[in-house]
Amino acid sequence: MDSIITAAARALAAGDHLGALKRVALRDDPPALALRGIAMARLGDLDRARALLKSAARAFGPKEAVARARCVVAEAEIAFVSRDLGWAAKALGSARETLETHGDRVNATHARHLEVRRLLLTGRVAEAERMFSGIDGTALPPLSRAAHELIAAGLAIRRLRTQPAREALARAGRIAREADIPVLSAEVDRARLVLDTPAARLIAEGGERRLLLEEVEALFASGALVVDACRYAVRGGTVCVPLATRPVLFALARVLAEAWPADASREELLARTFRARHADDSHRARLRVEIGRLRAALRGLAGVEATRRGFALTPRAADGVVVLAPPMEEEHGGVLALLADGEAWSSSALALALGMSQRTVQRALEDLAAAGKVQAYGRGRARRWTTPPLPGFTTTLLLPGPLPSD
Amino acid sequence: MKRSPAEILREYGPFPNADKVHGVTYDGRHVWFAAGETLIAVDPESGNPVRTIEAAADAGTAFDGRYLFQIAEDRIHKIDPETGRVLSTIPAPGGGGDSGLAWAEGSLWVGQYRERKINQVDPETGEILRTIESERVVTGVTWTDGELWHGTWDGEESDIRRIDPETGEVLVQLDMPAGTGVSGLEADGNGRFLCGGGGSGTIRAVRRPTRGGAAGQKA
Repeated sequence: MDSIITAAARALAAGDHLGALKRVALRDDPPALALRGIAMARLGDLDRARALLKSAARAFGPKEAVARARCVVAEAEIAFVSRDLGWAAKALGSARETLETHGDRVNATHARHLEVRRLLLTGRVAEAERMFSGIDGTALPPLSRAAHELIAAGLAIRRLRTQPAREALARAGRIAREADIPVLSAEVDRARLVLDTPAARLIAEGGERRLLLEEVEALFASGALVVDACRYAVRGGTVCVPLATRPVLFALARVLAEAWPADASREELLARTFRARHADDSHRARLRVEIGRLRAALRGLAGVEATRRGFALTPRAADGVVVLAPPMEEEHGGVLALLADGEAWSSSALALALGMSQRTVQRALEDLAAAGKVQAYGRGRARRWTTPPLPGFTTTLLLPGPLPSD
Repeated sequence: MKRSPAEILREYGPFPNADKVHGVTYDGRHVWFAAGETLIAVDPESGNPVRTIEAAADAGTAFDGRYLFQIAEDRIHKIDPETGRVLSTIPAPGGGGDSGLAWAEGSLWVGQYRERKINQVDPETGEILRTIESERVVTGVTWTDGELWHGTWDGEESDIRRIDPETGEVLVQLDMPAGTGVSGLEADGNGRFLCGGGGSGTIRAVRRPTRGGAAGQKA
């Protein structure tokens, strides 16, 4: 590398982004473009950064595959941080392979981390886990090791495994402290908050209380029949019946569960599921049909028996029946409840699941996004919505060094 | 042109507080290398660092028998190795695109990295006396026994080559093993080249072929 590039890279490593820019501002050779791109990313101008890195990647010669691959990875990270997932996953994959072949382990791992985070963000948790398990997280520099642990925590939380999540966060916290990186420590603290904030409300036998994620995990393992209004599903042991796309059935299940061990009257069922004020014969007929459907859906978990007043749940082998509800029955709670499954939803799928018009759902999503409770990526019909960042979504840019002599 | 694989005799480093090697020179006793914010002297026998001078050191390093010359950004500093003081400064001919540095025959020879050139420079004034075109990017530069050698590091390929100082024609080429680059070059006058290894943080000693072509004979 030449002297100014070395000096600029040195300035960048020391956190002097403007000093780095000053040195290479007037140069358009590929290493200078790459350095300018990284400096702009660190200064927060992500659009400019992407354009610079793109042109640097194009300008590196055929023998400079490693430098080019590092530019692609940096570009991918910037795209990820700005939640623009339109960039080609294939380009990131082949850049990662190039780095692996050339023995650039640190940056190859960084690329793999990005791939996992992208899968996690787009709700492909199983794929994310598969890819993550192939990463050797040992012997990485502190920043990458901490990112590794944060991703491990994010995956564990998605899977409701709170103990491994806590352990991973503790490791990340230790690394951040030892390396003395305050931004990272703050990020770990934010992630811990997810575990220390009530994640749901338990409604059982007329009362209710708040549950931490750990208690939710214990509840699912307890053998109780859980009508889960956070994810619109009914669970018992290892069986989970998703009802997200069948809102009427879910509403019936919830009313029945709240009444358990007593029965729920026809009037209450009709009022709370069909919003019918006066039950007439057609309503009663519809109720019978829907109860029949619910019975079929819950077969194996619970029966739904007719009583003199209405209907009652009879769980098969469960220790009681409870309702798990979002921590607050807030406005747009239904939308939040569906997003709580960690999947990436389109607004049309949400509208279908909630029985609302797409326009109403979109308005709700815009409100929630303004409040920082949901986030979107993609544009137009490809736009998807998810709940806010879990651990594993480091807001710190870890950008690889783009220069071959680094 | 004679072409053969480079034979690595020994590896120095990596060294504490220096993750990169930008330039290398030899003062007859110690190997000096540029580590970004410092110049570090290494004992060639033990391989241990023995002295450190605080100085901006981004690329080539050279020794004229008494003083060190060091490229820092777009300048070349003349440094007293005894005191570490910068005695004088001249502009670098490549305006910051400079990489390798050698001292020979009363001149400084400065490699210009991506421009694929070697500039002969007056060490007092910085005036460019002559420019030699190379076909490859130039990293380290050294003169030894009247031969001009330079290192190249183009992406993933790196070699040490002797060129005709008049025509730029390549006379001898020593290919470095895959994954090892040459970021700085110096002949130690004892049958070895000392090669900075860039981001590997190491210095590699490579056997210098003798004039007859048979490698390994000590000068």
